[in-house]
Formats: sequence, C-alpha cells, structure tokens
Amino acid sequence: MKETFLIGQIIALASADGGCELRHRDDAGRPARELEPHADPEDAAALALYDDAGNYRPLKTAPNLRHGWRLALDGQEGLRLALELFYPARLGAWRVYQRGRLDTTPLRETLGRQTGMYRVTAKLTDEQADALVGRFCRSDGGCLRAIFWRRDRAGTVPSTRLPPEKFDPACDQTTGKTLAEDDVPLICQEACNLLVAEVRAVVKGERPAGE
Amino acid sequence: MPDAPPAHPDTALLIVGHGSTVNPDSGAPSLAHAAAIRKRGIFARVGCVFWKEEPSLRDWPFLFNDDSDIRQVCVVPNFISEGYFTRTVIPRELGLDPSAAVTHRVGTEQRWVYCPPVGNHPAMTDLLLQRAREVAPGVREEETSLLIVGHGTGLNDNSAVAAKRQAELLRERSRYAAVLSTYMEEPPLIADWATLTDTPNVVVVPFFISDGLHSYQDIPVLLGIETEPTASASERLRGGEVFAQNPRRLHGRSLYYASAIGTEAHFADIIVEQALGALAPAVATSA
Ligand code: SF4
Repeated sequence: MKETFLIGQIIALASADGGCELRHRDDAGRPARELEPHADPEDAAALALYDDAGNYRPLKTAPNLRHGWRLALDGQEGLRLALELFYPARLGAWRVYQRGRLDTTPLRETLGRQTGMYRVTAKLTDEQADALVGRFCRSDGGCLRAIFWRRDRAGTVPSTRLPPEKFDPACDQTTGKTLAEDDVPLICQEACNLLVAEVRAVVKGERPAGE
Repeated sequence: MPDAPPAHPDTALLIVGHGSTVNPDSGAPSLAHAAAIRKRGIFARVGCVFWKEEPSLRDWPFLFNDDSDIRQVCVVPNFISEGYFTRTVIPRELGLDPSAAVTHRVGTEQRWVYCPPVGNHPAMTDLLLQRAREVAPGVREEETSLLIVGHGTGLNDNSAVAAKRQAELLRERSRYAAVLSTYMEEPPLIADWATLTDTPNVVVVPFFISDGLHSYQDIPVLLGIETEPTASASERLRGGEVFAQNPRRLHGRSLYYASAIGTEAHFADIIVEQALGALAPAVATSA
C-alpha cells in the first residue's frame, strides 16, 4: 500500500479500493494478517485510549500510541472522524495555522489565568520553567507537538533545553527529518492541562522540574 | 456512519464534559454519548470538548472550521446542574457571550447556541427511577429507601439543590418508603445511610455524570462496601468486575448500589433534546 501522509505516530496508506488505512507508523510494513483489523472510525477512540502496556493516555500527542492494529476507512468523513479521535482538534489547529490565523498563548498567561488548586502554578520560576518544559514536552518520550507558544510576551523561548526542531512544524518530531507536503504536523498553541498539572507538582515540591 | 443526509445538515453538536488527566472514566460517558448520537444522523457533526482532557475547551477555534455548511453549533454541557462550570468556566473558555444564549462567531459566521445542562432536563427524574428499579429488580418499593447521592458544597455548585429537587419529584412518582437526597460532603451524609433509613432494602443512585473518582472510588468507601479507594472503574471493568455484587448485606440490610446516572444510554437522548430544544423552544416545552 502506498503512503499518503503522516500525522504524529500514524501513517495513512492508500488501499487498492480507493479507501485508506491508518496504522501505527511502526507497523507500516507489517503483513496485514498480523494486525488487528478495524473498520469503524469510532474504534479510534478505544485505540487511542491506552498505550501498549495498558496505561491510560491522557495526552493524545504523547509518543505512546499503541501498536498492532489497522483501521480501514472508506471516505473522507470517516478519515476526518478517526483522526479527530486520535489527535483531537489537531487537524483544525493546523488548518487555522495555514490560514495565518493561529493565536498562541504564552506560558505565563496560561499559568496566570489558572484558578483554584492551579493558582499556585503562577509561582513557577523561569529556571523551573526552562527545566520542566525541557523534560515534559520533549519529543523523545514526552510529546510530539511542535511548540508555537513562548514563555512570555517578550517572546522568550519556552526551554533552552529543547532543540530548534521542537519549534519547527516542518520537522517530523518522531525522526527529526523534514515532513512531506501532505503530512500534518501536530502543533501546540498553548500549554496543555497536563503541563499545567505538572507545573503545580513542581511548584509544590512534589517533583523536580528537570530530569 | 449513517449514509442519509443528517436531519440538521447545518448544525453541529458540541458536548462539554469535565474529563480527567488521570482517569479515563470521567470523560468516557460524554464520548460514548457523542458516538451514539453520531450514529443517529441528526447533526452534521458531533464532538466533545473537556475541561481536563483533549480536545480542550480552549480548542474551540479548531472545531467545525473546515465545513462551510455548518452554520450553527449547539453547545450542551454534560453536567448535573447549573453552577460554576456552566455559568462561568464554559462560557469563558469557549468565548461565549455571557449575557446571551447565542454567540455570533466572527470569521466562520457560525452561531453558537448555549443550551441548558443535561441535569436540568425534565426526563432526569424518570431516568433516576429507572436506574433504581434496574439495580434492585423485584424489591418491594414499600420496603425500600431510595437515596440519591450528590456532591454537595463546592464552588457555587448547585448539584445539592438539584439532588434535593430530584428526591422531591421521585417521592411523588414512586412508592418507595422514603426518598432522600444525600451528599458526600455535607449532611445528610451518604456515610450515614444506615441511620438515615429504617427499611430492609436500601437503593443508592449517584447523581453524577460519570463513574469517576466519586461514584466508583469515594462513595463505596462512604457506604462501607469498600474499606479503601480501589482501582478506577475502567481498570476494574477490564478485570471483569463492575457493579456486580448487588445486593450487599450490611448493617442487617440489603444495599443496592447503582453506577452513576450519567452512564445511562438514554443520556444521549437528553443531550439531543437539550440541543434541539434550544433551537426550537416550542418543541422543547411540548416534548
Ligand atoms: S504543552 Fe504542548 S508540547 Fe508540551 S506536553 Fe502539552 S501539548 Fe505537548
């Protein structure tokens, strides 16, 4: 089957009947019979829920998508729904970026608007932010999104510990290579809830900021 | 996916859930209801957003932005009651006009219609009653107390008022010896169930959206059927254990414990009705 595009850890293959099949990109070359067959786009929700070890995946863009399945889809609507369930709102975010209308929110603003038990996150120091973002968001083991937000309004880089490619939507966060034109990069326009929760743990001294 | 065109081809439905960063059970009912509604072919699109899961409420500009046929989006909070979330958090995070039911989006020209939360729907009482009867089939209602559990306290939360109101309605509609609203964190406490009731049978129905932390882990401890919080519902489900041990014998009574009302499949109907009702108020009142 011919590759059509990549999105995160997923590869879309063109099937002979004009439809498309999604797989984990590591499974692209495996014989179909070795993979658990699925044909309902709604199955993507369950496939995205747990990693290979059976742990809950609260962050859908973490590089821990489970292996060993294939999802056959026969139309644009099914493909759209499946990708929405695998990588929620990421196709839409990419579309808004391409239209030149993506707003990003600096980390300091995201932390400053928290209420209740997350209000303390505003106390994160710049050094802690640098170490934490470098650990938590890194593509290798953390998250596959390209970061578009800055640390503050002055435009400070979110973490000096991340390579320049982490901020480049043209870069494949899995391999470090350049994405092809039809590939869809996963972008991060604002710090996610999981990073905010981790900030809280760091501010409260429950976890170190860096490694 | 249905092949016929949807009944409302210009309308998308957006279900708003709380969600959790640690446990998949919190968001699961919203996702399941969304999938069930998609299969019915009523709306052009059906999606979910969450406070603590992906897609986030803050992701709203990225939803329904590829299809110019979508002219309106019905936003239905999958919440038990009006309160801090429905009045403050959701409108703020979704950029909705706080003083109007309809927000006109610049750019997409869509109208986003903010609908009442599911817990406000008049069918909620029947669902609670149905749940109570299913979990304790064949028990004589005259010898049974029905306890509805709400959260209580919390940030401007009206869930306690909502649970109290449901208990009043259930008293009128059933023959239970007693119907009480109880709470986790304020009196009458669910932990006192044995002294609050004097019937041989006691049925407990959590007035919660999901089998998250509260109904699956906290309330069983308060009831005395678990000694400490156990694995989450999804972990135990995968282990084959659900709400399968009814009734339990405790304090000389038979105790029946139901899963959270929000996991009920009919919740999908209520979500649809809250959306269509907000589009056509005349239809909603006659439903
Ligand atoms: S903040 Fe963005 S890049 Fe970092 S983990 Fe969250 S989604 Fe990924």
